[in-house]
Amino acid sequence: MFRRFGLLLILGVLACPLLGQDTLINRLRIRSDSLLRTWQQAVAIANLADSLERERATIGRDTIAVGALRIITNASPLPVRQAAALAWPAIDSLYGSAAADLAERPYFIRAVDPDSNARRAVLHVGLEVPWDLDLRSTTTLLLTTVPIAPPDRALATWLTGVLRPSIHPREDVGGVYLEFVTAPSQAARGCFMGDIASCIDALGLGDTNHQLERWYPSAPERRAVVTGSFADFFDHGGSAPALRECVAGRDASCTALLRSLPADVLPKPLSDAARVSLVRDALRLGGQDAYRRLLRDPEAAIADRLAEAAGVSVDSLVAGWRNAALAARPAPVELPWWAIGVALGWVTVFAGCGLSSSRWRL
Amino acid sequence: MVMYKALLYTQWKWARLIILLGTLAGFSLPLLSLQGAARADRGALQAQDLLRAVQSWGTLYPLLAAALGLLVAIATWTADHRGRHVHALTLPLPRWRYVLLRFAAGMTLLAVPIAAVSVGALLAAFTATIPSGLQAYPLALSLRFALAVLVAYAVFFAISAGTARTAGIILGVIAALVVVQVVASIANLQLDLVGTSQVVLLQGLGPLAVFTGRWMLVDV
Repeated sequence: MFRRFGLLLILGVLACPLLGQDTLINRLRIRSDSLLRTWQQAVAIANLADSLERERATIGRDTIAVGALRIITNASPLPVRQAAALAWPAIDSLYGSAAADLAERPYFIRAVDPDSNARRAVLHVGLEVPWDLDLRSTTTLLLTTVPIAPPDRALATWLTGVLRPSIHPREDVGGVYLEFVTAPSQAARGCFMGDIASCIDALGLGDTNHQLERWYPSAPERRAVVTGSFADFFDHGGSAPALRECVAGRDASCTALLRSLPADVLPKPLSDAARVSLVRDALRLGGQDAYRRLLRDPEAAIADRLAEAAGVSVDSLVAGWRNAALAARPAPVELPWWAIGVALGWVTVFAGCGLSSSRWRL
Repeated sequence: MVMYKALLYTQWKWARLIILLGTLAGFSLPLLSLQGAARADRGALQAQDLLRAVQSWGTLYPLLAAALGLLVAIATWTADHRGRHVHALTLPLPRWRYVLLRFAAGMTLLAVPIAAVSVGALLAAFTATIPSGLQAYPLALSLRFALAVLVAYAVFFAISAGTARTAGIILGVIAALVVVQVVASIANLQLDLVGTSQVVLLQGLGPLAVFTGRWMLVDV
């Protein structure tokens, strides 16, 4: 009898910390549930406020519809309809069938008098635009603020932003050519020389392990990245000695410094503009439903998503994109013939001034 | 022709130091701008390094062109100004022809540094290792330099040929522009005379437009 009691007592003593642990877990769970409820309430209130603000923004406004674009704006000389007519084909050709969703996501544009300092009611949605904006600027505004739903986190991170229609397509692709030639990375250089695997690496579409060595394989490249992009950042505290060693030529220090950075901070060999131009190529190849296919599976690898959107293999897509970039090489440094004529004309004019100087008049 | 040769000879005597130094500088500039930048051991960095070096050195071409134009134009007229133009007045030729011969002689002398830049640029372009994707533009650069030298020479020739009164009028116009700009800024008026003058002089059809733009011996 006494033994049983002793056993129960020992079990009870041993169970005490476990009970305490259970209490702690329960307490944390209750706290996290409470936090979740508060967050949900905050989101609901924010949505309500947003909805009320949108309601307020639409009062007394007209809705202009061009294609699937809906623009809620006040009466003004701003050429909104004409700009929408110019912007819609570019938006439609980029997003394809997904552009139809824009009917549910209108622009809110408040055209204001640029010469007035009168106080206006503050709106927290949409854009406030001076009504003397010309057609070109208004079109650019519509193209750069397309209210398309933001892409999933993985695509947004890879793109570093939202995909918008190009305003200067030729210049954008020409910029990629410049990056090919001048990027301080063997991956970008290899891409320029025709190695598609290097292109895939430089675009961050391949294996992301050992990205530092893939993007910047040689010691001078790594040193150039550290000294060019992170010299100020590393020149403090514990990393300062390593920076000095790196600058002096010790590759291990450069590599260690670059490895200490978060993965997404390492400078990309080819910029976000190059990635955006690749996505645009994929959407162009893929036709009307390409954008929907691109967004269909957020869990898939970006390379697979692009291939799915374009309807071709990622190698073909990247090869075509590279060829387009090479074809868009910027115009070489040349003096146009008219500039030669202008310069010679001015030489003649100034020589004439010298000849007809008042000094020679008797 | 005899008169031209005589004037060319005298101008050569007055401006030979300027011409020789300008020729040396013009020949060296393209060679220095490509010196050592395109080394094979630089790997993927060589194109960027080369462009950076060429761009840095490129700022010296318009400066050299302007300096040559200024100094040769001044040297052309210094002796005449010093002698109060008595010698010119004694010559058996009309005044306009005398000025034209002076102008032509100055331009002939300036052909030497222009040729030096062309030879230097061609030599540098043929001997340097230029990374793929980049190209050398020795002829375009030489042509731009030649035009810049001629424009600078013509401008300063006209100013030097003018009287003190002409110079005063030019300076007065510039001063008036500055004063109006300052007054406009104080009165909070949307008037940008300096910016407008800059556009008129340096862009499009402006007289100094040839000095702007990219002075690149090597570019994409």
